[in-house]
Amino acid sequence: MRRSTSSPIAKTEWLCALGAALLALLAALSLFVGKYPLTLSGLLGGDEMQLRVFWTLRFSRMLAGAAGGFALGAAGFVYQTVFRNPLASPDIIGVASGASAGAAAGILFFSGAAAITVSAFAGALAAVVLSLALAGLDRSGRGGTIVLAGIAVHSLAQTVLMCLKLTADPERELASIEYWIMGSLNGISLHTAVGNLLLCGACLLVLFLLHRQLLLLSAEEGEARMLGVAVGRLRLVVLLLATLAVSCIVSLTGLISFVGLLAPHAARLLTRNNRSGTMVLSGLLGGVLLLAADLLARSVAATELPVSIFTSLLGAPFLVLLIVRGRKTV
Amino acid sequence: MNGLTVKDLCAGYGAAPVLAEVGFSLEPGHVLGVLGANGSGKTTLLKSLCGILPHTGSCLLYGKELSKLPTRKAAQLCSYIPQRSGITIDLPVLDVVLMGFNARLGLLERPTAAMRQQAVQALEEVGLSGREEVSYLALSEGQRQLCILARTLVSDGSLLLLDEPESALDLRFRHRLMAHVRRWVQQRDGMAILCLHDPLLALNACDRLLLLREGRSLGLLSPKVDDPARMEQLLSGLYGPVSLHEIRDRSGQRQLVMLKEQEDDA
Repeated sequence: MRRSTSSPIAKTEWLCALGAALLALLAALSLFVGKYPLTLSGLLGGDEMQLRVFWTLRFSRMLAGAAGGFALGAAGFVYQTVFRNPLASPDIIGVASGASAGAAAGILFFSGAAAITVSAFAGALAAVVLSLALAGLDRSGRGGTIVLAGIAVHSLAQTVLMCLKLTADPERELASIEYWIMGSLNGISLHTAVGNLLLCGACLLVLFLLHRQLLLLSAEEGEARMLGVAVGRLRLVVLLLATLAVSCIVSLTGLISFVGLLAPHAARLLTRNNRSGTMVLSGLLGGVLLLAADLLARSVAATELPVSIFTSLLGAPFLVLLIVRGRKTV
Repeated sequence: MNGLTVKDLCAGYGAAPVLAEVGFSLEPGHVLGVLGANGSGKTTLLKSLCGILPHTGSCLLYGKELSKLPTRKAAQLCSYIPQRSGITIDLPVLDVVLMGFNARLGLLERPTAAMRQQAVQALEEVGLSGREEVSYLALSEGQRQLCILARTLVSDGSLLLLDEPESALDLRFRHRLMAHVRRWVQQRDGMAILCLHDPLLALNACDRLLLLREGRSLGLLSPKVDDPARMEQLLSGLYGPVSLHEIRDRSGQRQLVMLKEQEDDA
């Protein structure tokens, strides 16, 4: 009760600070939890083995988790606003299925983690360009057309994926395709990740700068236009940027479910506004969720588990809790 | 000199025309009310005027075809309120009003302190002061209309288009709404076109009235100067038999009152 009387801007800042602190804590934990024990004194003392584990395994994994979660959360915010639909996610324009088909092709025809990343990225990009081009055929510029085009492209990519799976060797290739689709932060190396993370960061930066315009897209189409927004062009640019950011992450990690859907909802339920602070919070919560899920994925069982199991397992009850709590206070 | 000249405006959704050969002109400083039954083309008229809907014919604002201007330029000149705003996400009321400055801001610019001040003042004028930080979605339907009105009043253009801005307002706020619109029009010698449901409000608060039936113009009235008998005849074409009476309120001001008469076939 007392909290609701304080200024909402201060409240958002306070929540963002809390989210950032939690993210930093999980990031630190993520650096030190794992099969090979690392100690602070060992790292500072220059223990060669410990330093190598730190730089080749832990650091890149933590970075991919924090940045990937942030990107998925912030991009989810963008999708839900632009499509004026609380269920919108990158998959709505076929990104995830395009990336899956690309990754499957990479696993079948090339070798090496970097090749699979590039192939998944190309698949995601191809799916998005195809859906936007299909939507562009409809000159009326209605928002719904993009969704329909996305569904068509999604089915097409699923078909390609199925055909690739049929030709795959069930022992090795099919297993790696399935494993990739379930998502994991395992085995991401810094030099394959750095290009993706930089591109992703650049896209997110532009999206944050366009935040005020983004909210204008949440109005009705004619209304937005008479507020001086070039609706069709802006929507295309914003979607392309958000999708590019997601493709950068997904092509590194495989599919990660629920983060892009849950983080924006959680952020909005906490702040009850859609100002830029809420978009930041959405990213921070995404990072927190993904890092926490990854910590569990690598420490719960003897073998590494897919991270999506834990993003859903952690995320779903949290979302229900927020909804129930929200009902009471309104 | 006419500020707005509309000629042969036709529009429709698909094959069926909703609006056929509507034409009128409006002088600067005047408020035009549009009356018509449901489905008579009022909303289509407003949307065609500002170029949201494809149409044929012309709509010239000070000699410039509105629908041919770039989006930003058109939005700077003309401000439009839909029947209900499509905002479906939680946004503070102040941020909704600040959207009204968008056409004057660069892509990456933020509203200035002066704009914020103006937005707060506009909210105060429409009676929503103290609610700047409340979510737009938490407002009642009438309050939402007032909030969108505030967003429109901060506009700096020369034409306001308002689609049934009074539908959820009670009597007192309806008259306040008209006073706000009139003040905006007088301050900059602008023009306003309002689709209205309430014929009494339209008769007493507008300078001109356009009557629409099935997408066609029945005629243009000037309620302040026209002969009541002629107006009665035209209004009867719209509402069935009605009678128009001139009375004076306590301050001695002339007001028009319209009464519904028995239908012939009743």
